[in-house]
Amino acid sequence: MEPNSVPALRLSGIGLNYGFVKALSGVDFEVHHGEIVAVLGDNGAGKSTLLKVLSGAHRASEGTIQVEGSDHDFKSPRDAADAGVQMVYQDLALVDAADIATNLTLGREPLRRGPLGWLGFLDKKAMRRESLRELESLGVTTAPVSRPVEMLSGGQRQVVALARSAVRVTARGHGVLLLDEPTAALGYAQTRQVEELIRRMRGLDIAVVLVTHNLQLCFELADRVVVLNRGRKVADVLTKDTDMDSVVGWITGARAPQADLVA
Amino acid sequence: MMSNRSDTESIATVLNAERKGPSDSGGTNGVKTLVFLRDRGIIVLWVVLVAVFAFWAAPYFFTLANAALVANVAALTAIFAAAVAFGVLSGALDLSIPGTATLAAVTGGTVLHAGAPVWLGIAVTLAVGVGIGIINGVLVQRGLNPLVVTIATLTVTGGVAQVIAGGVPVSGITQLTWMGSTDYFGVPAPVFVVALVFLVGAVFLSQTRAGVRLMAVGGNIEAVRRAGINANWYRVLGFALSGVCAAIGGLLVMATTTQASPNPSVDLLFSALTAVALSGMPLTGGRGSLIRVLIGALIIATISSALVIKGIPPYFATIATGVLLVAALAFEKVMSSEVARRLAPPPTASLPIDPTTATSTPEEA
Repeated sequence: MEPNSVPALRLSGIGLNYGFVKALSGVDFEVHHGEIVAVLGDNGAGKSTLLKVLSGAHRASEGTIQVEGSDHDFKSPRDAADAGVQMVYQDLALVDAADIATNLTLGREPLRRGPLGWLGFLDKKAMRRESLRELESLGVTTAPVSRPVEMLSGGQRQVVALARSAVRVTARGHGVLLLDEPTAALGYAQTRQVEELIRRMRGLDIAVVLVTHNLQLCFELADRVVVLNRGRKVADVLTKDTDMDSVVGWITGARAPQADLVA
Repeated sequence: MMSNRSDTESIATVLNAERKGPSDSGGTNGVKTLVFLRDRGIIVLWVVLVAVFAFWAAPYFFTLANAALVANVAALTAIFAAAVAFGVLSGALDLSIPGTATLAAVTGGTVLHAGAPVWLGIAVTLAVGVGIGIINGVLVQRGLNPLVVTIATLTVTGGVAQVIAGGVPVSGITQLTWMGSTDYFGVPAPVFVVALVFLVGAVFLSQTRAGVRLMAVGGNIEAVRRAGINANWYRVLGFALSGVCAAIGGLLVMATTTQASPNPSVDLLFSALTAVALSGMPLTGGRGSLIRVLIGALIIATISSALVIKGIPPYFATIATGVLLVAALAFEKVMSSEVARRLAPPPTASLPIDPTTATSTPEEA
C-alpha cells in the first residue's frame, strides 16, 4: 500500500473501441499488493470492458499494461493468468459433479509416484491433503474437501471459486485477483463470509480488483474506489476520503469529474 | 466400483460434518439409506429380479448354463453401452456407434479374409474405431452439433462398409473364434473381453488424471478450459474411447458369428442406450458410473432371458424394459432431490467459514 511501491498491475492510457463506440478512453488504473480497489460505474460505463482488458479477454486498442513494473501484452486470458492475473467469473466455472479437492487441483493434479504415476494415476490422498492445506492457508474451512460441489451452498461455492483463483495467485508469490460481482447471488450471511475471505486475501498481499454494482460492498471492503462514466475515469479516491453520495454523483454523472481527471 | 467407494467415503464425511451441524436433527441414517438406494439401487434391483425369476422361471432360469447365456447377451449390450457411456461422460451423445462397429469389423474382416495375421486384423479393427472417433471429436470440437455429426458419421460409415464389403457380408472369419463362441471354464469368451474393458474403463475414469478430466469436461467444459487445460483434447479423447469400444463390439460380433455384416444394427444402439439410461447416467454428461452401466446391460439380458424361458413373446420384454427405464429415471430423480434436500441445509448453517465472522452464525441463516 505504500504509494511509492511498484503497482501489482498498472494500466496507462487504455482505450478500446467497439466499432465507432468508444468503450474506454484514456483510462489509467493501478492496483497495489495488499490493496482492494473497487471499480464502479453504471451499466455501459465501461466496467466490464475494463475487466475484459485486465483479464486478457479483450485487447486494448491503445495504452499499455504493466505487471509488477514490466510491460505485458495480454492476447488471451491464458496470457493474463501466466502473468499472475486471475479472474473469478460470475458463473464460478466449477465442475458440479466433482468434489472440492478435484475442483481446486484441476489442471495441476498431483500424480502417484512410480509407474502408476507414469500412467497418469492420481494421488487422491495428496489431492485432498493439498486442497485442505491451501484452504487452511487462506483461513477457509468449507465443507469436507471430498464433498461434491453440487452439494454446497451458494456461499460455499463462491468461497471455493475464490479460493481456487487465490491459490493460483498465491502459489506464485504475488498476483492480482479480479472479482466480478462476487456476492451478486448470495444472501446476507454468505456475503459476509465472502467479504471475510476477500479481506484475508488482501492480508496475504494479493492485489484485488472488485467490479460491482453494490456500493455497500464497495465501502465495506475497498481501500480505493475508481468510478467510470462513459468509458472515462471520473474519480479515483481512497474510500476513507469520500462518501456514498459523492460516489453516486460520479456514477450518474451529476457530479463533475475530479479536477485532475478532466481531459 | 471405485467411484462408488469414493462416493460413500465422501458421503460419510458429509454425514460427519452434518452431525456436528446444529441444524441437523437426526435422520442421518435416513440419508445413508437414500444414498445407498440411489447409488446401489440398480444392483439391488438386479438381485431382486434374479431372485424373482429364479422362482418364477424355475427350474431353467437359475442354472449355470443360463447364467452363461445371459452373460453372453449382456456382454454385447454392455460393450456398446460402454461406447455410449464414454461419449456421454465426456459431454456428447455418440450415435455413430453401430456404423463405427460395422465399418471397423468389415475392414478388419477384409484384412483377415485376405490372410493377414490375427493381431493385424484386430489392430486394424481397433484403429478404424479410434480413427472414426477422432473424426467425430474433431468435427464436434469445431463447434458442430454432436448429434448431427454422429448421425452423419453413422450413415457415411454404413455406406463405406457396404462399399468395402461389396454389399455382402465378409464371411468365413474363423480366426477369431477363440474370443467369440469359445467357452473358458464355462464362461463365454466375450464375457472376459467385456469384463476387462469395464475394469480398465472404471479405473481409468475414477483413478487417472485423464479420466477425471474427461468427466470434468463433460460436466463443465468452461471450468476445465479456464483451469488452463486443453479441454478440446479431452472431448476428442471421449469420442476416440467411444470409437474403440464400438470397434471392440464389432470385433466380438464378428468373432461370434464368423462374419462381418455391412449393415449397422441400430437395435444394438438402442439397447445400449437403454442400459446407459438404466444406470442413472444423465445424458447431460459429466457423471455416472461405468459399473452401473454394466448392471444395466445385465438387467436387460436377465429380463429377456426369463421371458424367453417362460415362452412369453419377446415384445413383452421390450415393454418391460421401457417401463423399467421410466421407473428407474423417476426413482433416481426422487432419490437425488431427497438426498440434496436433506444434505444441503439452509445456506451456511452447518459450516461458517470462520468462527470470528460472528455475524454469520448458523442461527441467522
